[in-house]
Amino acid sequence: MKKLQIAALVLLAVVVVAFCMLEAGTLSHLQSGLLGFLSPVARSGGAVKSSLGSLGKDLMTLDQLQGEYERVLAENRKLRAENNGLRDLQRDNDHLREVLGYRERSSFRLVPAVVLGHDAGAWWSTIKINKGSKDGIAPDMPVITDRGLVGKTTAVSSTISEVMLVTDENCKVAAKVEGTKEQGICAGMRSPGGELQMTFLSKLADLQPGQKVYTAGVSGGIFPSGIALGTVKSFHARELDGEAVLEPAADPSSIEELFVVTGAK
Amino acid sequence: MSQAILFIILLVLLPLSSVIQDLLPGIPPAQERLLLLPVIFTFGVLALPLVRALWFALATALVQGLPLLQIQSGQTEMGLTMPVVFFLCWAIVLQMTSEATHGLRWELHAFGSALVTFTMLACEFLVLCITRGGFPVDFGVVLKIILPSAAALFLAPLLYLLLRSLVPMAPDAQAPPKAPGLGF
Repeated sequence: MKKLQIAALVLLAVVVVAFCMLEAGTLSHLQSGLLGFLSPVARSGGAVKSSLGSLGKDLMTLDQLQGEYERVLAENRKLRAENNGLRDLQRDNDHLREVLGYRERSSFRLVPAVVLGHDAGAWWSTIKINKGSKDGIAPDMPVITDRGLVGKTTAVSSTISEVMLVTDENCKVAAKVEGTKEQGICAGMRSPGGELQMTFLSKLADLQPGQKVYTAGVSGGIFPSGIALGTVKSFHARELDGEAVLEPAADPSSIEELFVVTGAK
Repeated sequence: MSQAILFIILLVLLPLSSVIQDLLPGIPPAQERLLLLPVIFTFGVLALPLVRALWFALATALVQGLPLLQIQSGQTEMGLTMPVVFFLCWAIVLQMTSEATHGLRWELHAFGSALVTFTMLACEFLVLCITRGGFPVDFGVVLKIILPSAAALFLAPLLYLLLRSLVPMAPDAQAPPKAPGLGF
């Protein structure tokens, strides 16, 4: 028995060293594997949570009416999200197309998804959604709602995906301020609060509270141009540049339905 | 045999607790999360013999660490090393404490759960500060560490009773002390 225990300990040591030496690619596969392994429980849990949440509504309304209402609501949100993304394009796309020879862009191809749960990690802002690679989702796809940008997909299994929210410090988005030529980088903050920080602004920017901020859509980036990011809450000039605090356009804590942008139409 | 069944039940409970904690609502005012995984981990390493406890710690590190990997441009911000080392260290410390107190006790489980939660959140924050730079400690950060730890302290006795009824093969607090030498 003692020999068996020693063998188990030696094996454990080997496995521990092996896990600690894994590279990003292997870790990514392991992460997707775990996500896939947990997906049946996560989906069932999400369904139970959703049905518990809508228990009161179901008691008050007819099932068919409820279904129709939800379908129309989802369609309405999808259209509003598309419209939101098109707003900025409509303003300057004609000019850009002529000058830069960009191919004509149309609206986004959206895959509707439902939030299964907010991850319990304290320092990371991520959620799980009920769509995966089977539905055409891949890592690094933008996720939006009718109100604005939510984040981007990170780990993707066949049936569920993880979305890094814009309020995460690691989710960096090139952004521009409405009505100005100011551009900067938006990211979440490590200290909790759910606000966004926009850095690398000109210290002379003098942004005013309430000004809207949209994605800038840099070449080779993940996020298309013109998606609402948030509104300016405050601005202060630093020694070399300016920094603004933004209220996110889409409140991550209350999101239930969203859309993954899988490409252009 | 009963220890093997206990080990398997606890291994099943690990991913379950990870999914359930994602579905639970946040604690007001700042919507801090209830963390069940450290509570299950503490119960497991207190109830299992050393070698199984270490394997259980490794499994916990994978379930806790893998979802938190943020792979950006082919680089991981925090690999598996930190969670693996963290949970293995805690497994050894809790095993030694369990031996010193002659078995699995609810008080030990409660304080152990709170301490594991506290140190886990604090270590994650420190690693992030080292990798990303800066040390932005404010009231919100302190709350984000303290509240889940306090919640674990109060939640642990309830889960302890539940787990004891689910897994009656866990050793009793009144059981005779284990053989010296960490179970060998």
